[in-house]
Amino acid sequence: MLKAILKEAWISITAYKLRTFLTMLGIMIGVAAVVMMVSAGQAVQGYITKSFESIGSNLIVIGPAEIVSGGVRGGRGLPSVTVADVEALNGLKDVEATSFIMPAAVQAVYGSSNYGVSVRGTSPEFVKINNWEIEDGIMFNDKDVKAAKPYAVIGQTVVDELFGLQNPIGKTLRLKGKPFIVIGTLKEKGDGLMGDDQDNVILMPWTTVRQRLEGSERPQYTQIAFVKVTTEDKMESVSKRVEYMLRTRHRLKEGVKNDFSIRLMTEMVEKVRSVGFMLSALLAVIASISLVVGSIGIMNMMLVSVTERTREIGTRKALGAPNDWIMTQFLAESILISFIGSFIGMIFGVIFSQIGGMLLGYEVPISIWSVIVSVSVAVIVGIVSGLMPALKAMRLNPIDALRYQ
Amino acid sequence: MAEKKVVIDVKKVCKTYFMEGGTSQNVLKNINFQVRSGEFVAIMGPSGSGKSTLMNILGCLDKPTSGTYILDGKDIASKTDLELAKVRGQTIGFVFQNFNLMMKRTIADNVSLPLIYQKIGEQERYKRAVEMLKRVNLQGYEDRFPSQISGGMQQRVAIARALINNPAIIFADEPTGNLDSKTSDEIMELFTALNKQGITIVLVTHEDDVADYATRMIKISDGCKVYDGLRKEYSKEKETKC
Repeated sequence: MLKAILKEAWISITAYKLRTFLTMLGIMIGVAAVVMMVSAGQAVQGYITKSFESIGSNLIVIGPAEIVSGGVRGGRGLPSVTVADVEALNGLKDVEATSFIMPAAVQAVYGSSNYGVSVRGTSPEFVKINNWEIEDGIMFNDKDVKAAKPYAVIGQTVVDELFGLQNPIGKTLRLKGKPFIVIGTLKEKGDGLMGDDQDNVILMPWTTVRQRLEGSERPQYTQIAFVKVTTEDKMESVSKRVEYMLRTRHRLKEGVKNDFSIRLMTEMVEKVRSVGFMLSALLAVIASISLVVGSIGIMNMMLVSVTERTREIGTRKALGAPNDWIMTQFLAESILISFIGSFIGMIFGVIFSQIGGMLLGYEVPISIWSVIVSVSVAVIVGIVSGLMPALKAMRLNPIDALRYQ
Repeated sequence: MAEKKVVIDVKKVCKTYFMEGGTSQNVLKNINFQVRSGEFVAIMGPSGSGKSTLMNILGCLDKPTSGTYILDGKDIASKTDLELAKVRGQTIGFVFQNFNLMMKRTIADNVSLPLIYQKIGEQERYKRAVEMLKRVNLQGYEDRFPSQISGGMQQRVAIARALINNPAIIFADEPTGNLDSKTSDEIMELFTALNKQGITIVLVTHEDDVADYATRMIKISDGCKVYDGLRKEYSKEKETKC
């Protein structure tokens, strides 16, 4: 019986191809929009997660204290965590490694090329903690730090901008007129969370930055310090120990606010992920409005179809069609329209989201759930929008239907 | 010779339409008659006489307000909508004035349409459609569409469709109303031939020359049966008063 009903429904919907296509178009656009929007949301989430992972996971980030005035955050205070503080944190339980940054923005010169770069004075552990990899050459070591050697490990942007196709290892570049030897290059990392170029960086021993670049009168304060924790579940306990140790070292009395801030990378990832999820959900809700519009299109077409085919319904009833057969046939027509429409829409949604991803350079995942949900929603839409016209057809009096002109 | 089986038994059938505002109209008044298997009956009457209402009741599309109607041994008045649909599908064949074919379906699909509701498989439906088309001299037209054949042929397709369930009776409502006189004759000759094969036919018409093909005539006037007898013996004077 189902096969016969589906065949009858198929003949009916293919009888008026243009009308059926235009009706399907609404559902097609709706489903394609849902699939694309959910994929876009997931791509953003994936991008954010990846960006965080590129910074490093299981990290506690220590920075200057936030200035809060009248309940409003007013930016950052002065750096208060010293290199000695960071080195002391290294001895805490469950701490795998520590590192820090002393930043400086200067113009780098090599031959006739020059480029504005971000210089980071740091310790050798920085690369490991922040998931950097050495592409070529080596990273400076603790001895180099102690001796404040004029060594530089440079990012890919610096390589491209200053050295072009030349091998930079062993070459000397100049910062503020002083020479620094390139001993290593970093693997490309891509854009950071804020769209900043993470590869436009020069890593140097922090002592070198302090003594050769900034002048030794600069205090040994770090801009940001990183504490890498052994496992994710130890993040909370380690952060408490870090806070306790820093407060003790800074001689902060009870009731006095921290002169530093502690942030857990896991918390930040979670926050951003939840924002990404909300974004996906919001996009899906907006896109599903077009599904509703599409379903109204189906209902409209089916109502017109029932009116147009009133005499056909009368004839079928006269020839022995039970009422439920008539209802099922019209329901099958609307379900077929919405199912085929949603299937085509799903294919277009996947194709367009992949094309969009390729053009924008993002990896766009294909969400099986968005596909399943949107196709199921489309079938439900088909049932809901086809139900009223189907009931109308079922309730037609055969005598009136046969007389219909 | 033993009397043939009664296929239609109408007893004291009345039909009243109740209008808005509390008024009512008696369309059929106390109709009684029987039709036996193999008869060819013409129901005649002027417009508004109630013959179409009678035909709707006989065709199980409507129920009488009072009285009983027994079709092929089944009491129709007590049946549900679903049971009536079953009776229409299995006991009755319909032929309409406008043919009522599905223009987007092939002729074989049109002929076999009633079999879908009997849950008969596609191959068997096609086979039986081919047989029926042969019976109405339309062999070879199975896969064409109604728009590709003439009006007379379309009505023959409709007759084949009415025959496909081997019904106890065929109801034809003005079957020649949309045909020219030559084609009308062809269709009526087909009905006559089917009747000779033993099929009971009841047709509604207001045309005398169409009614002439029938052996028996029932005339309805103002909702009453005013004549019931042989067609060839009919005269205005023999009509009873309502």
